[in-house]
Amino acid sequence: MVRSLSTTALVKIGLAVLGIAFGVAAPYLFSSFVIGLFSLALIGGLFAQSIDLLAGYAGLVTLGQAGISASAAYGVGYMASRVGAGLPAQLAVGLIAGMTAALVFGVMAMRSDGVYFIMVTLAQGMIVWGLSIRLFRITGAENGLTGIDRPAMIDAYWKYYYFTLLVVVACWMLLGIIVHSPLGVSLKGLRESETRMRMLGYNTTALKLYVFVIAGFFATLSGILLVYLNEFISPSAVVLAASAIGVLEAILGGVGTLVGPMIGAFVIVFVQNVVSIYVARWPTLMGIVFVLVVLFARRGIVGAISDVWYRRIAPGAADPLSTVIAGRDTPGL
Amino acid sequence: MSPTWGWAASIVGAAGLVWWILTKMSVTAFFTQILNGLSFGAVLFFLASGFTLIFGLMRITNLAHGGFYLVGGYIGITTVRATGNFFLAMLVSALAITLLGLFTERLLLRPIRGLEKPEVLLTIGLTFILGDMSLAIWGGDPTPIPKPGFLNGALDINGFLYPRYRFFVIACAGVVGALLFWMEKRTKWGAIVRAGVDDRETIAALGVNIKAVFTGAFMFGSFLAGFAGVIGGAFLTLLPGQDFEILLFALAVVIIGGLGSLKGAALGVVIVGLIDAFGKALVPELSFFTLFAPMAIILVVRPRGLLGRV
Repeated sequence: MVRSLSTTALVKIGLAVLGIAFGVAAPYLFSSFVIGLFSLALIGGLFAQSIDLLAGYAGLVTLGQAGISASAAYGVGYMASRVGAGLPAQLAVGLIAGMTAALVFGVMAMRSDGVYFIMVTLAQGMIVWGLSIRLFRITGAENGLTGIDRPAMIDAYWKYYYFTLLVVVACWMLLGIIVHSPLGVSLKGLRESETRMRMLGYNTTALKLYVFVIAGFFATLSGILLVYLNEFISPSAVVLAASAIGVLEAILGGVGTLVGPMIGAFVIVFVQNVVSIYVARWPTLMGIVFVLVVLFARRGIVGAISDVWYRRIAPGAADPLSTVIAGRDTPGL
Repeated sequence: MSPTWGWAASIVGAAGLVWWILTKMSVTAFFTQILNGLSFGAVLFFLASGFTLIFGLMRITNLAHGGFYLVGGYIGITTVRATGNFFLAMLVSALAITLLGLFTERLLLRPIRGLEKPEVLLTIGLTFILGDMSLAIWGGDPTPIPKPGFLNGALDINGFLYPRYRFFVIACAGVVGALLFWMEKRTKWGAIVRAGVDDRETIAALGVNIKAVFTGAFMFGSFLAGFAGVIGGAFLTLLPGQDFEILLFALAVVIIGGLGSLKGAALGVVIVGLIDAFGKALVPELSFFTLFAPMAIILVVRPRGLLGRV
């Protein structure tokens, strides 16, 4: 069946093709340092997307997602560095560690919502951090775990970049399918009004557990990608700032979209690396950006663009970022 | 399960736990850990009571409370170094953090009043700024606040030695706690706060200037956090990252005890303080993790905490 595509859809497809073409061409255009940052931003973007699936789609803002991704990374690191196991065992233990954390944390958090959810997830992330600095036998405490080698086949920086690009694009498509599936639509229902969803007969507690575990899966993948990129894992990957920066990236880029977190991650990664050349106080700058974005730019970059697009250029098209609840200008916030 | 059976099971469980702990350590060590837990819980009480007051009234989760604690402690150090007076440092820190609270509430939080999640996120951004600025001003070395002379050394109770200062901390928390309970139950301010926790709209309709009450509550909570920074900084030492560490404990207190109630905070600090002290003594490698199990159980069984009101 052939149906004509709207202007909006055509523009989106065009941008996606351009983006992928740019991603594929990047190693021919930039230095190895910049490509390293690209890999970092892609992984950060996947991490921020997993946060946005919870925050922007289901209305469950989390401040502990790094606890899940780092559990996976520590699983890989432990097998590689302490046990000396091969790649399959590293990946298996990484996946199991990340998904176990996601499941346990999900069961803990599934009965809370709103600010309680934020508090509970924050505490969960902090507890993983506590383990990472104290459980020396497994985590190597402050020294972290070294001796984690990338698989030989994708060891070169540009090969690993392409591998990352492939995984991230595949995850992105999978996330796109999820958010447009009936499950994804019921998540939006959860975001707009949990009470109403329960009245309609949905088991909202189970729904929250599902989305938490699904988001945890993508966070797990981002953690595994990151540990092989750095070939190192330490408690700095679990600090609260690691989770908070994912939230900042999602909001800065545009919460409630999948492209937003990716844009946010690229902006933050590049700003951080450029700014760190000139000033030493990156956490202060990040805090200031955090406060300013929350005060004045909650709809983010994509939100601002889609405002202009749906109001000026293509009026009449359905704005996917519009929310039902009056007075709430940002999906999920 | 009926409440009676619940209580009975808790008491039997607690007795079993005490018996198990006593097989692991001497009676002296047991009492030392009890006092360690209570004195740490006392510091947490100053934080958690303000945190819970702000949340109960305004539904604002002030995650900058840990940052307020840390900055309060550092201001205390500077004051003690300049004047040599510990009690003056308490006052100066508490007042400075009160001003910081006023600034935060009026300039940063008021524009997004009612947007609960942005409010939380803003306070976390603020914590990063406060923590990094403290690192820039006071450096990264662990620093204890010098204690006043008469509180140095240990108190000898029939051969049982325990630091004087920690008794002082427990006594302070007892006095402040009693004062807070009295204020909540007996004064006009307490009545307004209790009514505000239950129904903000109605109390505003009755002619109470709810905005002023909000600002006052936020400042009072900040006052307690600054006070806690000095009193806690003198035996926990101050170092970068402690803002989030102490915040984790405060969150565990309100998650276990329940938000919006002073009783919940009081119960929570005792539980969290004791769990932390015995956890550190028995399984030092898992010191944060010991908070995890009780929190998980409470969240699944009573998502609003043991004595939560909101």
